Amino acid sequence: MLWLGFYFPQLPLSIFAGEQTVPLAVTRREKGRDLIDRCNELARAQGIHAGMPLNTALSLLSSLQVRERDRAREQQQLEALAGWAWQYSSRISFDPLLMLLEVGASLKLFGGFSSLLERMQQEQPAAADLQHWALAPSPSAAALLARYRPKARITDPGQLPGQLADIPLQRLTRRRQVLELMQGIGLSSIGDCLRLPRPELARRVEPEFVLLLDRLLGRVPDPRPLWQPPEIFEQRLLLLHEIGQASALLFPARRLVESLCGFLRGRDGAAQRLQWQFLHRDAPPTPLAQGMLAPGREVEYMLEIFRQSLERLSLPEAVVEMVLRVDDWQAFQEQAGDLFDSGAGAQDNSFLERLRARMGSEAVQGIQVHPDHRPEHAWRYCEPLEKAGDRCAVSVSHGHQPIWLLPKPQSLLVRRGRPCYRGELRLQVFSQRIESGWWDDADVARDYYRASNSSGQQLWIYRDRRSGRWFLQGFFD
Amino acid sequence: MNAEVKTELAVLLRQGVVWRGSSAGRASAAVITSGFPSLDEQTGGGWPGGALSEIFSPQGLGFSLLLPLLAELSRQQQWLTWVNPPHVPYAPALEARQVNIARVLLVKVRDTEQSLWAAEQALRSGNCSLVLLWVERVSAARIRRLQLAAEESNCMGILFRPLQQRQQASMAALRLQVTPAGDGLQVQVLKRRAGWGGKPLHLSCSG
Repeated sequence: MLWLGFYFPQLPLSIFAGEQTVPLAVTRREKGRDLIDRCNELARAQGIHAGMPLNTALSLLSSLQVRERDRAREQQQLEALAGWAWQYSSRISFDPLLMLLEVGASLKLFGGFSSLLERMQQEQPAAADLQHWALAPSPSAAALLARYRPKARITDPGQLPGQLADIPLQRLTRRRQVLELMQGIGLSSIGDCLRLPRPELARRVEPEFVLLLDRLLGRVPDPRPLWQPPEIFEQRLLLLHEIGQASALLFPARRLVESLCGFLRGRDGAAQRLQWQFLHRDAPPTPLAQGMLAPGREVEYMLEIFRQSLERLSLPEAVVEMVLRVDDWQAFQEQAGDLFDSGAGAQDNSFLERLRARMGSEAVQGIQVHPDHRPEHAWRYCEPLEKAGDRCAVSVSHGHQPIWLLPKPQSLLVRRGRPCYRGELRLQVFSQRIESGWWDDADVARDYYRASNSSGQQLWIYRDRRSGRWFLQGFFD
Repeated sequence: MNAEVKTELAVLLRQGVVWRGSSAGRASAAVITSGFPSLDEQTGGGWPGGALSEIFSPQGLGFSLLLPLLAELSRQQQWLTWVNPPHVPYAPALEARQVNIARVLLVKVRDTEQSLWAAEQALRSGNCSLVLLWVERVSAARIRRLQLAAEESNCMGILFRPLQQRQQASMAALRLQVTPAGDGLQVQVLKRRAGWGGKPLHLSCSG
């Protein structure tokens, strides 16, 4: 087994979205005091550093943005990343700020470790930084090396002790009992422990520590809970600053969309409907449904449609947090040539998306023929890219039929025995008799005529044979 | 005519701003036959591609003039976008006239501004072979924008406008006046490129 560990030292900071253009620090509580746990480059430039009491930091830099460290959210972020990494390995495990992938089985598939790593780094989501990695035969060694000896690449368990030797013991365990004991007998690094004969060591320290070492060196199996990918995608993003303008949501949305596309790639899926929610301080959340013409997983494409959708979003209040959820993702299919029958070249339908995003998807539609003798049922609206279903064998005669149809037949006045529409109508041609629909509740018995009025309009009208009333149903031009 | 004037004239001729009567009637490469020989004759070959045409008619009449064009263009892999048609196009009738309705895109919007925006987007997209727009009121400036959009992306646009507005000047390449006549249509070419229309035509479109 070979484990690839990734360490994300910036994660506690990067879970707080928004521009990293302000000095930002996260704190942890230790012995009743708030200490700076980590800070960004801008804060560091002002003299803030890890371990500094919060009060000191604030007196140095009053504009420092401070957040409490949020381990639950860090874990969520790791899991979101795992959704992306799922395409490289199906065995994924976590340590705090660490993601561990068993890659021994995938190396052959991806053509060796170097090309696997290169590929991952090329495709990495922007929120992730895959700089700190290490390859090792055991998961805990991969974790330790990714943290303290990044870019270590060990495939032979025999090389492990040498590589781990000078890592201080307190990096391996935080158990004070063990550490004090080891210090007492003059052992300070992992190497010091390993030089001790194993029975000697086992006699002196608790068995858990020995097991820890054995697992580190891959001498005994290290059963770890493996991550199970969720069935749906849902991710939340806390905004560093409240956002009052809809258009400004685009920037933080990128993070969520990238994460979604990673999730989809990892599971070889594609999404067509994105459900956004924008959370406010007081007002109920604002939902935004983002529908697309075809399932996809392209970040830029989804973001462009999101940008367009924002134009019809009105926010009752500033947004403090946003959620992206997709619960009906589907298997990914290459779209090229699929949209149109002949498949000659992929169509770029971004303009269609643009129209739908700006005006709502019901504003842009296609039409289809539907096999039914009743004109009002002989067609239907459809999704623009929807293929017509299999035609039934019902042959519908369409002799003398108009180009335009009224959605609903319009009842006509009758004057001197003649139907009227902008003047009296002259019947010109008997068009057809339609008797149909006895199977549902809308059965019809109609005689259709072509008629014209004094201004020369050509109309399609019918007489209902039951009631004798006249109706206008279409225009010939 | 002195030499300076001559070169200036050559420039204008090249730009197509002015044209010589002698070259009128020669079909330019960028036209698509209307399917009506007599109309083609009067319009210099048919509907101008990469340009805007206008049809002025009462009650949105004149659509059946486009049926051969629709049938032809719907064989391509591009959209025929209809913005704000006055009624629902009757799908079986279009199919019966060889129009591939899978290429038809209907855009229904609330106001003129949106329909102009949608038409311009469609013209500029490069994904449409034809954009139809029904519009009540439109300024000459907006028509100019649409004409430029049609030129730039080499897409054909056709506007349906009320008969009363035919006096308004416009940049459209072809302008037709269509009125009912018996069971057919009377078509008068109001404006065309490189030439004049002739006498009003009577076309019987089996609508």
